[in-house]
Amino acid sequence: MTQKRTAILAALLSATALSGAYAADPIKIGVVTPLSGTYAGIGQQVKWGLELATKEVNAAGGIMGRQVELTFEDEEANPSVAVQKADKLFQVGKVDFLTGTVNSGSTLAVGQVAERAGKLIATTVSFADSITADKCSPNVFRVNARAGQQSSALAVWLSKEKPKAQVFYLGPDYEMGRSTVAAFKSSAEKVGANSTGEVFAPLDSKDYTQYFGQLRAAKPQVLYTSVAGNDTVRLFTQLQEFGLLNNLTVVGASGTVTAQNLGAIGKAAEGFVTGVGYSAEIDTPENKKFVAAFKAANKSDPDLYGADSYGLIYAYKAAVEKAKATDTDKVRAAFKDLKWMTPQGEKTLRGGDHQAVQTMYVVKVTGGKFTIVGQVKGEDAIGPDTCTRF
Amino acid sequence: MVDALTRSMRASHVLVAILVAASLAVAAFGVATNDTFYLRLATEALIFAGLALSVDILLGYTGLLSLGQALYFGLGAYLSALVLMVIPSFWAAFAATAVVAALAGLIGGFIVNRVRGVYFALITFGMAQVAAKIVYNTRALGASDGLIGVPVININLGIASVSSASPAGFFLFVLALIVILYALSAYLLDTPFGRLLIALRANEARIPFLGYRTMTPRLVAYVLAAMVAALSGALYPMLRGFVSPELFFFATSGNAVITVVTGGAGTLVGALYGSVLLTVLKSVIGSYTEHHLIVIGLLFMGAVIFLPKGLMGSVRPLIERMLAREPKQ
Amino acid sequence: MSEAIQYFQFVLAPQMLIGLVLGVAVILVALGLTIIFGLLDVINMSHGEFYALGAFIAFALSSVGLPFWLLLILVPLVMLPVGYLVERGLIQRVFHSGDRHVRTLLLTFGLGLLLEDAFRLVFGPNPHRPETPITGGVEAFGIFVPSYRLFLIVVGAAIIAAVAFVVYRTRLGAMVRAAAFDRDMAASLGVPVQHVYAGAFAFGVALAGLAGVLLAPIYSIFPTMGRDFILMAFTVVIVGGMGSIAGAVVAGLLLTQIQAIVSLYISPVWSDPIVFGIMVVMLMVRPQGLFGRLGHG
Repeated sequence: MTQKRTAILAALLSATALSGAYAADPIKIGVVTPLSGTYAGIGQQVKWGLELATKEVNAAGGIMGRQVELTFEDEEANPSVAVQKADKLFQVGKVDFLTGTVNSGSTLAVGQVAERAGKLIATTVSFADSITADKCSPNVFRVNARAGQQSSALAVWLSKEKPKAQVFYLGPDYEMGRSTVAAFKSSAEKVGANSTGEVFAPLDSKDYTQYFGQLRAAKPQVLYTSVAGNDTVRLFTQLQEFGLLNNLTVVGASGTVTAQNLGAIGKAAEGFVTGVGYSAEIDTPENKKFVAAFKAANKSDPDLYGADSYGLIYAYKAAVEKAKATDTDKVRAAFKDLKWMTPQGEKTLRGGDHQAVQTMYVVKVTGGKFTIVGQVKGEDAIGPDTCTRF
Repeated sequence: MVDALTRSMRASHVLVAILVAASLAVAAFGVATNDTFYLRLATEALIFAGLALSVDILLGYTGLLSLGQALYFGLGAYLSALVLMVIPSFWAAFAATAVVAALAGLIGGFIVNRVRGVYFALITFGMAQVAAKIVYNTRALGASDGLIGVPVININLGIASVSSASPAGFFLFVLALIVILYALSAYLLDTPFGRLLIALRANEARIPFLGYRTMTPRLVAYVLAAMVAALSGALYPMLRGFVSPELFFFATSGNAVITVVTGGAGTLVGALYGSVLLTVLKSVIGSYTEHHLIVIGLLFMGAVIFLPKGLMGSVRPLIERMLAREPKQ
Repeated sequence: MSEAIQYFQFVLAPQMLIGLVLGVAVILVALGLTIIFGLLDVINMSHGEFYALGAFIAFALSSVGLPFWLLLILVPLVMLPVGYLVERGLIQRVFHSGDRHVRTLLLTFGLGLLLEDAFRLVFGPNPHRPETPITGGVEAFGIFVPSYRLFLIVVGAAIIAAVAFVVYRTRLGAMVRAAAFDRDMAASLGVPVQHVYAGAFAFGVALAGLAGVLLAPIYSIFPTMGRDFILMAFTVVIVGGMGSIAGAVVAGLLLTQIQAIVSLYISPVWSDPIVFGIMVVMLMVRPQGLFGRLGHG
């Protein structure tokens, strides 16, 4: 449906804007993203962000005079499906570039498909550090901030606002959850925080109240959590129910509280602080323009996923225009240390590990909205390049 | 001596032959058009057909519905991936999978075969769920990320060798393997052992009076099904180069059940046709709407209500009649 | 000694209390499942989706301004005809085939897939949460319990008692039990078996819907929420004995207590496998469950 709409739009634009001039073949970007299943809400933001940027780029004449065409495939939050759909887009759809994967398992597996097909992909969502560290790939880029960047930013804020805080950690018990907790713990301890305990709850836990005994006994001032999505809604609701939110600052990963679940969490989210690569509140003309356009198109605020996906199209545009081609090797070379503008300011794609370096924001939920309470410069949050493959 | 079972199995063989012929045509067409995606998709359909075949061995012949066959499929996939990453040899992975699957099937069989009916369905469901959780939480197995980097291998067949990266070559290889699994299962189920299974399904209480044990044939069928599922699973990382815990999930088991029921339970060939049908359907619907589950759910409910014998269960009698008309030599 | 008391007061007792709330929630979901199985011999794989349907109906109705207290009555009433129609229109179509267990299981499995996707189509993929109708909490002996959870325990117990009363002590319940024990005999004695079956299915579905309304303020609402309780509910039904209401209550309380206490000592991730392990062992040694089947003994 959407691909048809985009195609019609592209056709209309090429008929009017280029009016008679030869209509070059469109540049095709494949999107393999979860439109159903657990991560459907994130997939929706990815889709909205990409569609908005594509519409703007096409209205302004496309990339090197070529229109951009998006083709969506649902990966059902399942790497096996993602791989099959990526293969389809590469082989049958003949896409020039691919994006959209959300869970890190899908990103890693699709990255391998891209390597074998000789194409490039970028993730705009996956946080796992490994994607641009020990499991890095010459064909995979990441334009969003990884877990390490987020926790460094948050730790900087913590050291200023709550020096020598007593911190308790509550993470979802799977690879991602454990690594985010470990990353923040080491960042926080470096700036003088004391760890008072940690607990890991299974993914999709119904009830977090069973861990509240340990939490209460540890008497922390700060609770760090990296649960996400529906799990966050439950955790916060139950913390509030048990009256634990008084005198406790809750901080967390950037995926913990987002525009998708903020409404459902309601008042319980008040005071939550996170380090994140994007906030709709960033006070720049570029961002205001972006937020207004996003709201007009989708009747919803953009969150980090929508904004990073939106920014990707401009990164790809910049790279293709620099390379003057869509060939894999040329675009890869053009992506190296590429600087480009996004709603959240300038980003740089580090050549050594394909990780975007960007200003990190510390945001706090106040009055049901995210407000920015701090900023950390890109180079201070990024951490060393540990990718050894290229 | 040709009884009804042999006659209908012959009809199944004819249907398999038709499928093989169609596959050869697809492979030829794929090579001619230099295609890789459709050949790989077809290969994947065949691999999942193997999983469905194992569900049908249980459902069609012992009447027991397994809701956790993904346990053995995932086991085969992970084992094969782990072996291939150390020794990139097809035969090493295949042999390891066969041995471990037989053992796992034996242990699993002792547990599940103590119960019947819905209890069997729920216990297989529970076992697969526990296995999925364990894999999902084990760092050495890549945890939730799964394992990537399974190498492309050359399968040494003595006279020739096939690369798992060659779309047509690997497709034909998988086709041959799945047909062999089908033929082995069909052969076993056409022997007195298979008839005993069918008799068990019809009336378990009488079997001991005929001098047979009831436990052993069920266990054998369960181990056979486990091995068929695991060996099919072992092919998955060769095709896609990775494994992820989702291969163990209920969605995988559930899909296999949908495949068998729409294809035709108890026909064996239905698993193959069902898998091809479902793969094509998902691929087509998935490109038009993200609400494919509504469509699949409706079609599946329709099949359960209106086509209780499944597609092949409805087509096969026609073939049987055609076979009966032919003069016997 | 005082250490032991402190341990009980601050660690064990709160954990058991939390387990009790979860137990009541699980029992509410499992009750409908066990009634449907006990009477119709149908494993309702879409039961979790009916639980979600109840929550979503409540969410839709509360967004037009209906109060929570009204929804507690209204939603089950809306669910009754839904369940009745599903039984008459779908289940009955395959009910009389040879393989009732397998085919009804498959049919409801398909229905579950369809419903889950329909929720996403209508309500979108993101979570929703109704405001907790009772806020605040009670503190006693240093243990804090939110009022809504106390309310849940009380209401849950009342519902369970009411269901048990209807099934075991009323004329209607006698008909249900008779139909479960021997369908043909009951029919020849004038029990309207068709209506009893459809009615029992509708009753089970309405209970799931009621559980959805009651639990939504704690567990929130989203399209895949039906998967949450269903595993645990199946386990409870099997361990307690298919169709036994007393069994569901005892097994529900027992299993959630085991889960709650075990997760104090080992990683909570393993509490699910442990519960499954109990289910497997139960099936092996006593497949009829703790209390046996409805209508039998």
